Amino acid sequence: MRPENGERRGWWKSSAAADGEQQLDAVGILLLLPATLLLVVMFIGPVGFAFYLGVTNIALVGPTAQHFHFTGLKNLHRLVNDRLFWESLKLTAIFLGASAVVGVTIIGMALAVLMQHAVTWLRTVVGAIVVVAWMLPPITAALLWYAFSTTGGTLSLLSGSDSDILNDFPMTIVCLANIWSTAGFSMLVLSSGLRTVPAEVLEAGKMEGASRWQIFRSLTLPIMRPTIVTNVLLVTLLSLANFSLIYIMTAGGPGNATNILPIYSYQQAFQFNKLAYGALLGDVVVIIATVFAYLYVRVSRPSRAGYRPQGKLA
Amino acid sequence: MVQYKPRHLASSFTALAMGVGLLGSSGISGRALAADKTVISVAYGETYVFDTEDLTKKWWNGVKAEFEAKFPDATLQLVPIGGGYDDITNKLSLLYRSSRTAPDVAQIATPVIGQFSSSGYLLPLDSYLADEAWWKQFPKVIQGEGVFQGKTYAVNTGENDSQLYYNMDLFKKAGLPVPWTPHNWNDILNAARTIKAKLPHIIPVWLNAGSSSGDNGILQGAGNLLAGSTVPTIYDKKTQKWVVDSPGLREVLDFYHSVYSEGMGANLSDLFSPSAVTIPLTLIAQGKVAITFGSNYYGGNWTKLICSPCWADATKVAGVVPIPTVDGHSPDIATTVGGWDFAVSASTKSPHYAWELVKLMESDINQINAANWAGFVPANQLIVKEPAFVDFAPPYNAVSAQVLPYGVISPASGDYLVWSHGLQEATGALAQHPNTTVDAAIGVMSDYVSNQLDSSAVETLK
Repeated sequence: MRPENGERRGWWKSSAAADGEQQLDAVGILLLLPATLLLVVMFIGPVGFAFYLGVTNIALVGPTAQHFHFTGLKNLHRLVNDRLFWESLKLTAIFLGASAVVGVTIIGMALAVLMQHAVTWLRTVVGAIVVVAWMLPPITAALLWYAFSTTGGTLSLLSGSDSDILNDFPMTIVCLANIWSTAGFSMLVLSSGLRTVPAEVLEAGKMEGASRWQIFRSLTLPIMRPTIVTNVLLVTLLSLANFSLIYIMTAGGPGNATNILPIYSYQQAFQFNKLAYGALLGDVVVIIATVFAYLYVRVSRPSRAGYRPQGKLA
Repeated sequence: MVQYKPRHLASSFTALAMGVGLLGSSGISGRALAADKTVISVAYGETYVFDTEDLTKKWWNGVKAEFEAKFPDATLQLVPIGGGYDDITNKLSLLYRSSRTAPDVAQIATPVIGQFSSSGYLLPLDSYLADEAWWKQFPKVIQGEGVFQGKTYAVNTGENDSQLYYNMDLFKKAGLPVPWTPHNWNDILNAARTIKAKLPHIIPVWLNAGSSSGDNGILQGAGNLLAGSTVPTIYDKKTQKWVVDSPGLREVLDFYHSVYSEGMGANLSDLFSPSAVTIPLTLIAQGKVAITFGSNYYGGNWTKLICSPCWADATKVAGVVPIPTVDGHSPDIATTVGGWDFAVSASTKSPHYAWELVKLMESDINQINAANWAGFVPANQLIVKEPAFVDFAPPYNAVSAQVLPYGVISPASGDYLVWSHGLQEATGALAQHPNTTVDAAIGVMSDYVSNQLDSSAVETLK
């Protein structure tokens, strides 16, 4: 990471003074140009267009497929009054909260801590299994969990009945499937975070007579806070984009029990051919993702505390 | 029509592949590939329409060879589209957005022809059809499926309709008559009750419910019942509103209520499976279900050629009868009809060759092969009597041909899919929660459709 403003500014000014600011500026812009163009063409353009489509009457097929036009606030009005949208937003929050924030972080942390204390061979085996689960494509993970949780699957056999647990507790099962498939990532991030906790701090805690739990809660967790927050945000973004898992397992059903926003957006655009409303729902997902992405960028910035003295000195 | 592939899985793949496909499909417009040859492109379902991918290749490669032999100055470019029912429509919608990528001829699902024609994508075919003898053999109801605002935009290449399949061995064991001829819905329910009482480990009735199969679940389930109800209206043309409550819908949901509240339906895992509509094919062959509301392709699927699943004894065990109307009212046959059609692009540079291709694909032998290999009922009423079709899967093909002219076609509007989804949710609620009342199920449907299309777009029929 490049140091913060202070040092950077100093380098810039001195170079600029020596070689001429304009020339350097042009070179800088030239070097940034490919990345900027790529970003504009591949990301900002399409996203901007999707926002525009969201306020038109474009259909996938039908009279307004080719000849669509701006419809003002009509779609937004529908969105605000769409009971299913609000339900979908609530389900999205539950899915992200239960699986990404709580499940993945807690399970990931538990795995990371247990792995730290496990014997080497066990750590290797468990680590490999969890990482393999994470690396499986969502389609495979979804099919595994589908087979696992429907009638005749392991879960119903274990419960001693022929119940259909997926359809009885759809949101719980898709959350568990998401936790199962992303806990490996969380474990890797948090394991590396655990290694950054200074041993002498833990040793000092032990010397003071603190219990293992007290050491974990009062020393390890606070020191790991930035890593945990980063992990939560990353897993939330990963889960928000995990359309396939729910679509394959339940397609948003039964009823609308697992109809999270990406599924609802797909249904409107590609099943009901209402491309404009589907785009608008997609825009809401983009806004939610942007908020989390912004938080992630803020959290993952290099610690200001570390560089501030330098900046002040400069 | 074949639904082997888990729909959601296929959809997910195709959603990803769509972008890539669009790039690749720029080759469709390669009419300049050979300077001295006219290139005609035809887009079709690669994995969904025919029973196996080998048969898809066999039929389409045969068409290509025949076309190019007949027209040496033309080349036929095949544009197969992978994925399921929705994926084919989605991909075609994207291809048609530009005249550079629009296929000259396309195989389009019947329920969406209206949307493609109203987009301005399709060429009216009336002048071409006027002199065709084979077209005159199509039942009026099927000729009408491609007609919008007085013009014909598509011609059918095979239909799917529905029948009742019943396991004769189980019927005999339960003391029920064989052959069985139900005259109304009570006859079906009473037979199912007898099965449940005498053979408690057997599923009395397979009746599709829920939304996992999309509109397919309606075409092969509740839609047939609605067609045989006292008020089968889906869309009220006079008021231009969608019917969300009517005596007909209540009769249908009451039938569902009886089946599921009396524990006569299949388990939820199977009913709500993405491949639900094909599950009874195996359950019937395994002797696990007594009565099935199923599609015409079952008989063909059990043959040695298709083998999905193989069932040599099918004709000895699985009986087939038309679905009766609610109270036996005439004609006492109820079925939905939905299939695939050929349409010509409005932007084609070679309408002559495009039409010649459609004609060639509508030839007797091509239609019989399509029917047998894809599980269709041919629209042409001369072909349905051909031994090559009837004897391919007896007695099933004969019964499916018998009921076809009585079929009811879904409304062509795009909003039909929303209405259909509302009915799927209502049937799903009755299957999942047996305590659900008919009033509550009507409420589920009414709420859903009103919320999606606005309360001013729905109505109740008395």
